[in-house]
Amino acid sequence: MRRSVSIAGLGVALVLGMLCFGTSQKSHMASAQEKMSTMEVKIDNFSFGPVTLTVPVGTTVTWTNRDDIPHTVVSTDEPKTFKSKVLDTDEKFSFTFSKAGTYPYFCSIHPKMTGKVIVQ
Amino acid sequence: MHPFDIKTVVFAKHAQHVVLIHFPIALFIIGVLFDFLGQWKKQRMLAAAAYYNFVVAAISTIPVVVTGILAWQWELEGQKVKGILLMHLVMGCLSSVLICVVWFIHMRTRRKQEEVMPGYRLPIEAVAVVIVALTGHLGGFLSGVNGPG
Repeated sequence: MRRSVSIAGLGVALVLGMLCFGTSQKSHMASAQEKMSTMEVKIDNFSFGPVTLTVPVGTTVTWTNRDDIPHTVVSTDEPKTFKSKVLDTDEKFSFTFSKAGTYPYFCSIHPKMTGKVIVQ
Repeated sequence: MHPFDIKTVVFAKHAQHVVLIHFPIALFIIGVLFDFLGQWKKQRMLAAAAYYNFVVAAISTIPVVVTGILAWQWELEGQKVKGILLMHLVMGCLSSVLICVVWFIHMRTRRKQEEVMPGYRLPIEAVAVVIVALTGHLGGFLSGVNGPG
């Protein structure tokens, strides 16, 4: 009797352990996938960093204004693929690239500030 | 971008507002300097020089205000501005009004052929110089004159 109880207990512990392992694996994979699909561009000192960003299709790129003055993020194509509002310090703008291609962009307040997103 | 498109001419990568703004700033500040010197030295020539500076400064505020508003409407699609941009817009409009007020005071006095210019113009001119300088400072900050390249 005692033996069968301990076997059952061991079995339950094994099942619970497997469940926990599976869940942690899943969450690890999910966070890795999230990391893959979100990229960041920092706006600082009148420049985009990195200037050229290469990402896979479906990636969301987030621009964060770390500069003291306002900036915008506007694609150079017509009609505009993406266009942010005026971003004050620490404000963000995100865009998800669902098609492959090269997307040059600039700051409409400071046209000398340019960058490029290459979607593969 | 078409080379004869108005947006290309006015903006492109050589924003005209940034270029034109230097005319009213310089003319007005030098005009005020002439006016103060004319008042101090009691010289009519300096007062006349001040007046003509104010005339051209007031005229040159027109394209500056127009290109500034067009930049807001076209480049930023007229979106609600805040922070430094809003301060620059408000102070820019105030500067233009003050420049025109100073010119108007001088013009009215000359038309009435009065010998003495009204004394209240001097504090108005001094305040206007401060507002113009602050507006220019904000504009320089916005345009990134201290930035790289």
